[in-house]
Amino acid sequence: MNILIRMRKAFAQEMPFFMALPAFVWQMLFLYIPLICVVALSFLHINQQFSLSSLTLSNYGMLHNPLLWAVIGRSLLLAFCAACTCALFAYPVAYYIALHTNRFKNICIFFLILPFWTNMLVQVYAWFFVLEKNGLINTLLLNMGFITEPIRFLNTAGAVYIVMVYCYLPFMAMPIYSILDRFDKRLIEASLDLGATPWRTFLHITLPLSYSGIRTGFFLVFVPAFGEFVIPVLMGGGKKMFVGSLISYYFLAALDTHRGAVFTVISALILLIVSLMLNKFLKWLINVFVGKGY
Amino acid sequence: MRNIKIEHLSKSFRGDIILEDLSLTIPGGKFFALLGPSGSGKTTLLRLIAGLETADSGNIFLGNDDITKTPINERRINTVFQNYALFPHMNVFDNVAYALSIRHVPKDIIEQKVVKVLKVVHLDRFIYKAIDQLSGGQQQRVALARAIINEPDVLLLDEPLAALDLKLRERMLVELIELQDQLKTTFVYVTHDQFEALTVADYMAIMNKDGCIEQVGTPKEIYEFPTSIFVASFVGTTNIITGSLSISVDQADAIEVADLGKLAVAVPADKSWAVDGAKVAISLRPEKIEITKQEQVGFSNMLRGTVHAIVYHGRSTQYNVRVSDTLVLQVFEQNEEHFPQEVIDYDDQVYLYWQKENVVLLNQ
Repeated sequence: MNILIRMRKAFAQEMPFFMALPAFVWQMLFLYIPLICVVALSFLHINQQFSLSSLTLSNYGMLHNPLLWAVIGRSLLLAFCAACTCALFAYPVAYYIALHTNRFKNICIFFLILPFWTNMLVQVYAWFFVLEKNGLINTLLLNMGFITEPIRFLNTAGAVYIVMVYCYLPFMAMPIYSILDRFDKRLIEASLDLGATPWRTFLHITLPLSYSGIRTGFFLVFVPAFGEFVIPVLMGGGKKMFVGSLISYYFLAALDTHRGAVFTVISALILLIVSLMLNKFLKWLINVFVGKGY
Repeated sequence: MRNIKIEHLSKSFRGDIILEDLSLTIPGGKFFALLGPSGSGKTTLLRLIAGLETADSGNIFLGNDDITKTPINERRINTVFQNYALFPHMNVFDNVAYALSIRHVPKDIIEQKVVKVLKVVHLDRFIYKAIDQLSGGQQQRVALARAIINEPDVLLLDEPLAALDLKLRERMLVELIELQDQLKTTFVYVTHDQFEALTVADYMAIMNKDGCIEQVGTPKEIYEFPTSIFVASFVGTTNIITGSLSISVDQADAIEVADLGKLAVAVPADKSWAVDGAKVAISLRPEKIEITKQEQVGFSNMLRGTVHAIVYHGRSTQYNVRVSDTLVLQVFEQNEEHFPQEVIDYDDQVYLYWQKENVVLLNQ
């Protein structure tokens, strides 16, 4: 009896652990174990019969190919530009909704997250009608006389970039909004009261205090944009390779699992390193230019 | 120091009228308290002076300058906010230095001034502490230091002590008075706490629930000579007795109170509404009443009653005495002795005495 009670007590105390357990197990099974498999795969020499033979570093020989690095570099640049553009677009929206709407706040948020409810493929396909030769933008520009022949948007890196910004904008806006929504407006009043102009107030008070939202949003955009597969394939026409499309090429088209594994591991490592560096860089930027710099 | 003159100021939010046609002069270089119940619009008035709100109509003058339309960051008026509104990402030094740093004052001058002002508020030991490491009272001082470092013409304080405990509040009140003495800046102190207002103010204004100024004066004037029933009952504790005035040549002036009969009053000459038969009220402060079980002589008024409730306050005891079916009077008596000669208990028959000069006659 006593033991039963004690066990029940222990169980109650450890409740949070048991609640978290399913997610841990799930992640273990479907994320970490496959990840370890991929890493392992990149070090294995596999012969034609798909039987394991030996550990090897020879798969990594492919890294001599500069084309791979070009793909990684291109993906980094695209992800970085997309994340920066999203931040520039999303911050004013989040700022406006969080601090300058009262009754219509919920409606604004609804419209902001509405794209989440549509399948991303549908969203991307919709852009065909905007960007194609006889699409919305070309028709408009032609009719207004700005151009004499249609501009080629589709199948360019520019199209990939535009659609990427479009698709990832809510991921940037939501974390910034959630920070600014909890932001104490009286700090703005205090800063103005002490003689700061609205612009200086934004620079020294609002921006540093919403930095964590920008950082979260930045990586919510940067990381998936780096490995994005659908948008480069559909909008870029598969002509320019990005990390996502190259991985899928190795695994699905070329059926070259160990090269695919090597490339996956390398690009993931690079992403990790670049993210850590960017994190430091953002912090440095905020400290130097707005935190104390006056 | 320049006066603040407010003329015919009106302000409404979404159709709710907060202030209507309000005029008030706040004397320069004085400690001025704005006292009113919650929701009386005193904070709105303060925000209008600060420039945090724009007036619908009316003007605000600082000395001879019309500052009604001056942007907030160009007014030489600083505010100590109710919850301090300290910048959480800066330490004490940066918070206090803020007003100077954004004006590009040289670094060495900033440092001198910050150290000096932190000494004034007794915070020089905490100069590089983070804000969240400070106690409520210390944060209060940082807010104060931050607001006075740029030597404003006016310092606005919006219920600055509301979040502090009683002992600390009493100490801060004394420090605020000393600070005002030292700086000679005009302090405008908004509070709903009459104790705070009476303690700190050189002059005070009482606002009623409708956002109108009921009375302006020194704390003593406000307390001893209120001009309306609202002021009399809002500031301090009082007994309001209503009746009709009877003035005749052959008899002493008195008011006729239902169930009680006549009570003698003194009618000041300047009260033009005080005519025979007028509906009036008297305000009788509990401490102005003498309570005893024995008959006394030499008082102009006497009522008999039974003790209905006794509330022990420490320095004084409050007796609620029922004098008629409809009226219970509050009486304070100082607890001067450990063992009083006369012990008053529940249901005791007591006499209440007071002098008619200690009663304030009010228009109903």
